[in-house]
Amino acid sequence: MIELDTLTYLFMALAGVVSLIATYLAVLENDLIRAVIFSALQSTVYAILFYLLMAPDIALVYIPVAVGLYPAVVLFLIKKTERSEGDLGGAGGGSE
Amino acid sequence: MRIKKFLVLSSLIILVLTLSLAFTKGALGHYPLPLPGVRLLASWYLFTTLNPQYPVFTAMSPEAVTAIVWDYRGLDTLFETAVFFLAIVGALALMRGISLKSALNNASNRVGDGGLSLICKTAARLLTPLIIVVSASIALHGHLTPGGGFQGGSAAAVAPLLVLVIFSVYFLLSKGVSEKPMLILRTVGLVGIYLTALAAVLIGLFTGLNAYVFQNQPKPDAPLGLPAQISGALISGSLLFFNVFEYLAVAGGFTLVFILLSIPEEVVKSFIGGETHE
Repeated sequence: MIELDTLTYLFMALAGVVSLIATYLAVLENDLIRAVIFSALQSTVYAILFYLLMAPDIALVYIPVAVGLYPAVVLFLIKKTERSEGDLGGAGGGSE
Repeated sequence: MRIKKFLVLSSLIILVLTLSLAFTKGALGHYPLPLPGVRLLASWYLFTTLNPQYPVFTAMSPEAVTAIVWDYRGLDTLFETAVFFLAIVGALALMRGISLKSALNNASNRVGDGGLSLICKTAARLLTPLIIVVSASIALHGHLTPGGGFQGGSAAAVAPLLVLVIFSVYFLLSKGVSEKPMLILRTVGLVGIYLTALAAVLIGLFTGLNAYVFQNQPKPDAPLGLPAQISGALISGSLLFFNVFEYLAVAGGFTLVFILLSIPEEVVKSFIGGETHE
C-alpha cells in the first residue's frame, strides 16, 4: 500500500512534468492562440501544485486567473495583432 | 528553427537540473520537498491568530493567511493593491476619452445579434449568477476559510468576462456594466480600504486615545480596536471590511480593464484619428 505522502509527492512530480511539457510547447508554438492554450494548461497545473503544497488561498486565486483572466487578456491582445508568429520568428517588430 | 528548438529545450533542462540540485542540496531546509508538518514560524502564527489570551499578537481570525495578509503584514498588502491599481490607472489613461456609447447607438451593433451559439448563451445565463455567488462567499468568508478579497474579486471578474465573450460587449453595456459604474465600484473599494486602515486612528482623534494605522485588535498601549464579533458572529475586526472592499475594488478593476480591451480597433481609431472620423 502506498502512503499518502508518497502519493502526493508522485502527483506533484507528475504535475511538474506536465507543466514543463506545456511550457516547451507554448514557447515553440507558432500559432499564438494554441500557445495561449498551452500556457493556460501550464498555469492550471500550477494551481493543482499550489493546492498540493497546502496553499489553498493561492490555489483559489490561481484558478480564475489561470483559466479565465490570463488567457482572456492575451487573446484580446492577439486579436489586436496577428495570429501567427510568422517565419521571421525572433526578428522583432518595428518594421512597418 | 532547429537552433531555437535546441535553445528552448536546453534552457528548460538546465532550469530543471539547477532547481533539482538546489533542492537536494538543502534550499528548502534539509529535505528536498516541503514537509507535511508545521515549521516554527508557522506554529507561532497558528498559535496567536485566534488566541484572545494574547491580545498583543492576536488577529482574532481562524484563517492565518488572511490574518497575515491584512493584519500582521497589512502594509505590504496595501502597497500590492496600490501597484495593481496603478496598472489600471495606466490602462485608463491610454484609453481616455474613448467610449463605446456612440457605437452602441449604431443600428449595426444591435444588442441581440452576434455572440456564440444558443447553447453557450443558455449555459452562460445559468453560470453567471453562480460565479457571482461563489465569489461573494469566497470574499465574505475570507476571514474564516481559505479565500479573501483578491481571490473573490478575481473570481467575480470571470462573470462579466464570460458575458463579454459569449454575448458581446454591447450586451454587457446594455445591462449597465459599463466603464463609469465599474470606475465608481473600484473607487468605492479603494476609499473603503483606506478608511478601514485609518478607522482606529480616526476614532482615536475624536476620543483622544492612542491608536495606530492598520490597527485591528486593541493593544495594551492603544485600547482602541475594531470589534472581533458582532452579536456573536466572528468578523475579525478589520479583516472582513478589508476583504469586502478589496473584493469590490478588484472585481471592478478587472471588469474595467476587460471592457477597455474589448473596444474594437475601429472605434479606438475613430477617436484618435479625429479628422478622418465620419
